[in-house]
Amino acid sequence: MTDCGCDKAKAELEEYIHHELTKGEAEDIAEHMANCDDCTGEHLVGLTLTNKVKSACNEKAPLELRAEVLAKLRTIETTATR
Amino acid sequence: MAVLDAVREVSPLGDLELSPMTTETPEEPTTNPTGETPVETAGDVRALFEEQALQYMDQLYAAAMRMTKNPSDAADLVQETFVKAYTAFGQFQQGTNLKAWLYRIQTNTFINNYRKNQRNPYQGTIDDLEDWQLGNAQSVTQSTSTRSAEVEAIDHLPDSAVKDALQSIPEDFRLAVYFADVEGFSYQEIADIMKTPVGTVMSRLHRGRRLLRGLLAEYASGRGIATTPAAGRAK
Repeated sequence: MTDCGCDKAKAELEEYIHHELTKGEAEDIAEHMANCDDCTGEHLVGLTLTNKVKSACNEKAPLELRAEVLAKLRTIETTATR
Repeated sequence: MAVLDAVREVSPLGDLELSPMTTETPEEPTTNPTGETPVETAGDVRALFEEQALQYMDQLYAAAMRMTKNPSDAADLVQETFVKAYTAFGQFQQGTNLKAWLYRIQTNTFINNYRKNQRNPYQGTIDDLEDWQLGNAQSVTQSTSTRSAEVEAIDHLPDSAVKDALQSIPEDFRLAVYFADVEGFSYQEIADIMKTPVGTVMSRLHRGRRLLRGLLAEYASGRGIATTPAAGRAK
């Protein structure tokens, strides 16, 4: 398979999704994807995975935990700051 | 005589857990133009801590759920994190990333206090395992139509399936995925939190996401949510 840019794009897709590429590198990937359904599809799967994980992990701390933490902080206050 | 400044004098090497994040540039403490030293009472410090740190409780709790896997241990871990953070708040440099600092304390507390209670035969060597040893190695050859089906399938999965899948991948991978995808920390910040080189963070994140993707695809096809590659070819 000739180098159509897919190898490079696929190798850097995770970093592209996580905003870890330089502006120039990111532009190269975006440019490649504009003409490549395969890499566009991979990108979309990656983004979907990120969004899904993010929306699934949405637990709220129990209300009583907040009260417990506040109470605890008040008991250690004197020793913590002299 | 700022309490915060006094504590900052302490060598950070004494307690690596609480040393400043390496990614941040320390800010000079603000000097009062009149030359007077600002008065900081214990009450001020507590108020500042409550105002700045407590807002992250939900996030730290969700992370603690991924770490400990149960609500009771998660609550204990979060409480311990806040107590430690409060005690060490003088070492936190205002203007740097407080959320990352809190995560660092929580991750460290988790590793020291909870991880050793869990049986994990791979602990410490997980990064050295080959992909095939992790199982669930996913085929990389997929057609475009299969990918759009995969996107659709992932989108429709219940949250519980995603959390179950997360719980079943190795802990270091799971945390890297969590820090990057849920919290949006940079690789360098994750490296600081997990005390590991950036290259290791990348490897954990990539492998974790690949495992997760495989598990979700498996789950979806098991539920008949996705069209499998075979179904895509049929017709």
